[in-house]
Amino acid sequence: MSTAKTLSLTIDGTPCTCESGEYLYDVAKRNGILIPVLCRSDAFEDHRACCRVCIVEVEIKGRRKVVTACVYPVEQECAVYTNSEKIVEERAIVLALLAKRAPESAEIVAMARYYKAPELDRLVELDGGRCILCGRCVQACESLGTGAISTINRGTEKEVSTPYHNPSLACVGCLSCANVCPTGAIPFIQAPSTRSIWGRDFEVLSCERCGAPMGTREEIAYAAKKAGMETPVICDACRKHEIADSMMGTYRLV
Amino acid sequence: MTPTPDMTKILVCCGTGCIANGSLKVARAIRDEIVAQGVAATLDLLVEETGCSGMCEGGPIVRILPADIMYYKVRERGAKDIVASLGGDPLKRLLFKDARGERVTAQSENPFYAAQVKIALRNVGLIDPLSIDEYVARGGYEGLKRALAMTPDEIITEVERSGVRGKGGAGFPTGRKWRTAAGYDNYPKYIVCNGDEGDPGAFMDGSTLEGDPHGVIEGMVIGALAIQAEEGVFYIRDEYALARDHVQRAIEAAERAGILGDDILGSGKRMKLSIVRGGGAFVCGESTALMASIEGRVGEPRAKYIRSAERGLFNQPTVLNNVETLATIPYILKEGADAFASVGTETSKGTKVFAMVGKVKHTGLVEVPMGTTLRTLIYDIGGGIIDDRPFKAVQTGGPSGGCIPDSLLDLPVDFDTLKKYGAMMGSGGMIVMDDYNCMVEVARYYVNFLCEESCGKCTPCREGLRQMHAILTDICEGRGEQGDVELLERIGATMQDASLCALGKSAANPVLSTIKYFRNEYEAHIDERRCPAGVCVKLTEFTIDPEACTGCGACLRACPTEAISGAVKETHVIDSEKCIVCGSCREVCRFNAVVTEGRRA
Repeated sequence: MSTAKTLSLTIDGTPCTCESGEYLYDVAKRNGILIPVLCRSDAFEDHRACCRVCIVEVEIKGRRKVVTACVYPVEQECAVYTNSEKIVEERAIVLALLAKRAPESAEIVAMARYYKAPELDRLVELDGGRCILCGRCVQACESLGTGAISTINRGTEKEVSTPYHNPSLACVGCLSCANVCPTGAIPFIQAPSTRSIWGRDFEVLSCERCGAPMGTREEIAYAAKKAGMETPVICDACRKHEIADSMMGTYRLV
Repeated sequence: MTPTPDMTKILVCCGTGCIANGSLKVARAIRDEIVAQGVAATLDLLVEETGCSGMCEGGPIVRILPADIMYYKVRERGAKDIVASLGGDPLKRLLFKDARGERVTAQSENPFYAAQVKIALRNVGLIDPLSIDEYVARGGYEGLKRALAMTPDEIITEVERSGVRGKGGAGFPTGRKWRTAAGYDNYPKYIVCNGDEGDPGAFMDGSTLEGDPHGVIEGMVIGALAIQAEEGVFYIRDEYALARDHVQRAIEAAERAGILGDDILGSGKRMKLSIVRGGGAFVCGESTALMASIEGRVGEPRAKYIRSAERGLFNQPTVLNNVETLATIPYILKEGADAFASVGTETSKGTKVFAMVGKVKHTGLVEVPMGTTLRTLIYDIGGGIIDDRPFKAVQTGGPSGGCIPDSLLDLPVDFDTLKKYGAMMGSGGMIVMDDYNCMVEVARYYVNFLCEESCGKCTPCREGLRQMHAILTDICEGRGEQGDVELLERIGATMQDASLCALGKSAANPVLSTIKYFRNEYEAHIDERRCPAGVCVKLTEFTIDPEACTGCGACLRACPTEAISGAVKETHVIDSEKCIVCGSCREVCRFNAVVTEGRRA
């Protein structure tokens, strides 16, 4: 990478500066301008730019175009409009479409209302829909290296699932997918000593010292293997206590 | 056998369409007859299976050179007479009958071919695609030789001067694309051939790959020299088995001939080509989805703010060109940029290949100068509409394209003009429609296609298509509501702006262009519950006009559900209970006695 150049731009009239190549969403956020997002998460470096909620208009040399702020790299001076008439309308339509897809998601319904999405009673609602196919869950699973879920099929039949809808042996039951889901669309059952997700039941291990739940047997083993450590039998908090205790002993001897 | 200039060549079209019509058997029958009749003793003969000769409607086509006799709809049983007539008068019954009813002999006398100018298809239908010698005999690899003596910059300048633009649909200047990729000092670089042609009814690229694989390979090597790539990939859709086979064998032949490999024609330059089979997803014709597919990932597009020329295949600088563009490159290098630029219009140079299908008399593969009007294409080359029915629309550019009405028939076809009128030239698919086509149903068909073929990644495309499909189905089935058309326009406008890739941005085109030019048909469906074209089953009823009916019985025989009754020479009657509104009776009636009415009772 060459040394980044500093650029100046305006966002909704506010003068801002950024380094060349920075994503527009990040520049706006740093300057206190919040562009709505759904599929973007700070947990990931790459963004899928698929929910299209973060659309804004960018004007360069008098020419305007609609871009997605989450992945648009600012590379020259420009004027950005996050609330132009066009953006307000198109964002509202995108949210109206999402609200029909995920009518059971309180988050989406609230967001659609906030951005004044038209009701459009004429459109069909997906029964029991919560998932907006933002793909964060798949991203999370992929970045962990487990790869238990993916999007399957295409077009209007696209969905997130395990291969052939069968319980996946690759799943470690870590709940990362459910945790990054912005609409709570991934169902799971958490009991004191068991957990169920994606059609599989997992045993939840407890800390041998304090008895606090540590996670599923599979996820603990997976994380330890990845870190090149032995599988722990005590929880993080107890491990810290243990280290502190042993250090205390060490200092006492000095 | 290496052909000699004065030998008699019998070219049997063996493009996919003609093969389906039995042309391989025809070729075999001709060979057998040559042996049986012993003509080889007196005539220096060569029988060849070639690529698509163009006029698919007249296939299987047999052409005899140098006499230039072209036979149409040849069957095995015709082989005997064809061979017997060699050297003598042509067989009248197999010649083309023109509009005046006269038989014409030479290819150029057939109006289907008369207005064509062949650059990309210069060898297709004329040579054995698997013979590198024949390709070379027609000037093949001359452009490459010239390119090898030039610097990359000189090659790009030549391509820029030619004005050639990407023929996959977008019309991006090829030279500029190459210059961008050449400008990155990041290796390896790749050149990729997009052979994922997926538009319904389109077969330009498949025919080119089948009929002249060396032409495309030569274009790939020249492009690679220009951007300094040493590796190229053909991405060919899985359905094109014959094209894949021919390209594979041509790559092997080029390797043996020292054109590919570690020392291109003794220049010390390297080039390796391979084929990747597409998995059958329409969206994989989109550049970023195509590259994801080659890499083994899900065929989904990504945002293109960073162009493939900078970071494409495996994140390396990549040039992706369409088959037809690549097939044009050797011509530009061999004949020069000026020769190419002398054809076409101010902003769209050269030629364009179209696959013309639908309600046109002569369907087939045609190549015309840019700027040729739709009227020339449909009426002069295509011979007009079947049964001389009224022209209604031509659908260009596949599912992402639009429908163009008759008021715009005199538009020159090039990249910029059609765009201005809400359609696009696209990759060259052209579906001609008559007054028996319902434009709402056409829009519904394309939206349904896209519902299945969109990757489903982004909201506007996936959800917009889902909702559009539901609304259009309602309209076609008589449940349309006031405001539906405006709602379709509103959703469509957002899809055009806010979708992620070119597929999504253009997915609303079939709907928006039919609304723009055929709004009255939408209104008839919604306001009057009537399908003017008599296509939408729930809004149509056929009856027989007793005044016009002669009782010939043609409709009665054509009806698949035995819904028509009537004695010979007496008025026939349609039983609306049994009728499935297929329209077969209307098509066969020569007296226009089948009347299209509103919804059945």
